[in-house]
Amino acid sequence: MTSAAPILEIDRLKTYFRSAHGPVKAVDDISLSLGLGETLGVVGESGSGKSVTALTILRLLPEASAHIEAGKIVFLGRDLVRLPKKEIQKVRGRMISMIFQEPGTSLNPVFTVAQQVGEAIKLGGENSAAKVREKTLQLLQEVGIRDPERIMGSYPHQVSGGQKQRVMIAIALSCDPKILIADEPTTALDVTVQAQILDLLRKLRDERQMSILFISHDLGVISEIADHVAVMYRGKVVETGSVLDIFRNPKHPYTKGLLACRPRLAGDTRRLLTVSDFMEVRKNGDSIEIIEKQVPATRLAELQSRGRERLLSPKGELTKLGITLPASNATFVPEDQSPILRVENLEVHFPIKKGVFRRTVGEVKAVNGVSFNVYKGQTLGLVGESGCGKTTTGRAILRLVPITSGKVEFEGKNFLGLRGEELRTARRRIQVIFQDPYSSLNPRLTVEAALTGPMKTHRVGKNPADRRDRAAATLEECGLLTEHLGRYPHEFSGGQRQRICIARALAVEPEFVICDESVSALDVSVQAQVLNLLKDLQDDRGLTYIFISHDLGVVKFMSDMMAVMNGGKIVEFGPSDEIYRNPSNDYTRNLIAAIPDDSLSSIERRQQLRQLHA
Amino acid sequence: MNTQQQPVRTLKRVPRSPGYWQDVWRRFRRKLFPMLGLAFIGFLVIVAVFAPAIAGTKPVVCEYKGTLYFPALGYLNTTWENPIFRVDKFRGVYPENLTKNDPKAWAVWPLVYQDPYRRVRANEWPGLPAAEPLMPPDRYHLFGTDPAGVDVFAKMVHGTRTALVVGFISMGIAAIIGITLGAIAGYFGGWIDSLVSRLIEVVMCIPTLILILALIAVVERPTIWHMMAIIGFTGWTGIARLTRGEFLRLRNTEFVLAAISLGIRRPTIIFRHVLPNAMAPVLVPITFGIAAAILIEASLSFLGFGAPPPNPSWGTILDAGRANLSKWWLVTFPGVAILFTVLSYNLVGEGLQEATDPRLRDGRA
Repeated sequence: MTSAAPILEIDRLKTYFRSAHGPVKAVDDISLSLGLGETLGVVGESGSGKSVTALTILRLLPEASAHIEAGKIVFLGRDLVRLPKKEIQKVRGRMISMIFQEPGTSLNPVFTVAQQVGEAIKLGGENSAAKVREKTLQLLQEVGIRDPERIMGSYPHQVSGGQKQRVMIAIALSCDPKILIADEPTTALDVTVQAQILDLLRKLRDERQMSILFISHDLGVISEIADHVAVMYRGKVVETGSVLDIFRNPKHPYTKGLLACRPRLAGDTRRLLTVSDFMEVRKNGDSIEIIEKQVPATRLAELQSRGRERLLSPKGELTKLGITLPASNATFVPEDQSPILRVENLEVHFPIKKGVFRRTVGEVKAVNGVSFNVYKGQTLGLVGESGCGKTTTGRAILRLVPITSGKVEFEGKNFLGLRGEELRTARRRIQVIFQDPYSSLNPRLTVEAALTGPMKTHRVGKNPADRRDRAAATLEECGLLTEHLGRYPHEFSGGQRQRICIARALAVEPEFVICDESVSALDVSVQAQVLNLLKDLQDDRGLTYIFISHDLGVVKFMSDMMAVMNGGKIVEFGPSDEIYRNPSNDYTRNLIAAIPDDSLSSIERRQQLRQLHA
Repeated sequence: MNTQQQPVRTLKRVPRSPGYWQDVWRRFRRKLFPMLGLAFIGFLVIVAVFAPAIAGTKPVVCEYKGTLYFPALGYLNTTWENPIFRVDKFRGVYPENLTKNDPKAWAVWPLVYQDPYRRVRANEWPGLPAAEPLMPPDRYHLFGTDPAGVDVFAKMVHGTRTALVVGFISMGIAAIIGITLGAIAGYFGGWIDSLVSRLIEVVMCIPTLILILALIAVVERPTIWHMMAIIGFTGWTGIARLTRGEFLRLRNTEFVLAAISLGIRRPTIIFRHVLPNAMAPVLVPITFGIAAAILIEASLSFLGFGAPPPNPSWGTILDAGRANLSKWWLVTFPGVAILFTVLSYNLVGEGLQEATDPRLRDGRA
């Protein structure tokens, strides 16, 4: 890897936000340098200041609330911080362009793709309509859109998420920029689409000799594309280095923690390390101090030994499904035990209504014949890409969506036959933890009210005082404090809120919990803590889980049995370790192959290829 | 940990964080103009409540023949004025009659001795000159007099009550209907939603002013209450639409889904989980609606179709000003009062909107 002359140098940059409680140091004294043709990956969790850094470069932050306190951003000999507004306009798009996370909202819904790409080209000084069209076509071909002619005439809602991101990239490339800033460009995309977009960015970078500033929270994605990596934590760059150095030999405890806390496909631990195993953060007045800790060997051993082994479905059932029994040290549910939840040929179809009289003209088969058994104490993972029907399956079991046909039996009793009061009392036993910790708590209720309300409905606890005590005990069980009872949801961080959601679900003492993408909205370091918590709770309370996620690594870490879904159907079912080790279905194989590979050998191979190219 | 076992500790009280409305108030308080608006409305409320003690010809308190009376209450409701004063032939003039009938009588008088309903005669109050029609403002008639010789200041003070009551009652009716129907439509959806939505569209097409004019033609003795009822029964559509929208949105949020899967009863979900979250945005059109209702009442009175006399109303004074354009005091004082009242409500509404806007709250990353 050649450390070429830097094209962009950020020097001691500070971007502060004004707030009612004094300045918020979003970016606090960072220095970065991006070489010509190089890809710099900036990694950090939410609030680390990585996006603010990107927005500061193009001066896209609202001037009313944000200001650049100090520092320089030198691009081609000019300091972007001190450039007049008119001049920075000329830099934006033409010299440095940017793509964002959400391709859905980055495109204007009232213009066609051709109009939007064309507009960007015209900004670059091209005026003849024929030439603009020609260049649009050429750009769309370059970003790998297969039928550019059709896409050009389409509106954003008519094209898929991956294609929208390709169009965004085409717009960003329209004026041949020197630098592309990509702010979480693949986070909102399915993993297979993410792999394609990463391929595309790699190709463009090699062909155009473009520099890329690639921002992501996902170290896996960073390992796939970056040459150099900068790790950000609370507004500061805590470590920089070549991608190999960072992955082979991380120096800062935070980097070590980040690398260790992700559930990996190849991993086989029963619990996850968390960032707090590596470091302790002490508040020192205004600043923070990070103290490195040594992870004791006992802790590493505990990760392997704590908790139970995989609990697989009865041998008889597995052989009947044609699954070879794994030789590993898993336990099996006894043959004579009947499943706690039996789902048979579940179908959920949503009608498509059209016209003045809302006639049903067709239907979307969201769930199209799904069957599985879950045994007491087991975790069943449902994994698949967006639109595969995994969330609808969960909601159908919870009876939150109307079921078209099929059977759901809970403890041998028909769960779908329940009506009215009977259903209401039965609901206590199956609880749900949703994805978004922000919208899944009522903002007007204190934690105490959120926990004791449902208890009262189901007559858990004898009197208000008893319910309070139980609520406090449940909170502590979920890693929160008694004092939190009197607070409102907005006073908590995302991870804490998710713990409250877990506590609320557990407050009514359910036997069965459906986790619907419960950790997908959390930072990886928090995700590890919540996953550990869920596993601990399962061991302590003997809970049964259905764990729904798009992230195969997380599902494999959590689940005993796994069901891979596609198009409303289960395409592969079996013990989760077996599915990873030996996938039998093409779709599953593609899914596994598309997951960013951050093993050292793969990074080395990619870097060698890159040097050959250069 | 075994959860079935009874927790041993018993908790002491934990401090409770400020709630949502406390937080809204904290944000609202920091805004200058909405606070000025709120202060002005507060001032109007005080004026309206204490109107009989500010301007009037009846004592606030008096001792007459050994008993305490509050004749000024008669301004709020005629039956609250003790019949003894009618029996004793006071004919509404207290100062001389009180001492004439009972030398030991004493009284606490309103700040300004002027009547909102009748013209005050000379020396009714020692040293007070007789009121002539259309007198310009002077030290006895702070805001001048109207064509009948009635004091404009007294009329303004007593008219405040009408202005406030019109706003609150009519929007109260509108809010009750609008929130109920909107909530039902939004929560249950389906055919109920279609039915309510069509009803909203029908009611939206009814022109309020014309309905009121029709009412005045039909009802024998139209009062201010009829008017408020009509404004209320036609003005709920905006509130209903907004509530419906909020309920539709909240119906599918994850916390409501969580509440359903927790097995919480439907009324609890509607009143405890959905309604409080839908209230904040609904409050804004209600404040704007109050301002609109005050304007409707004033315009009707201005056109001469308002509450019949002797109801004091700012619009009626304006109406008198229409026929006497050169008498500036007839237009200026009520005009400015209406302007500031409507402006205040609008400022408060805007302040509420900013203080409750979810985009400015919660600090989502």
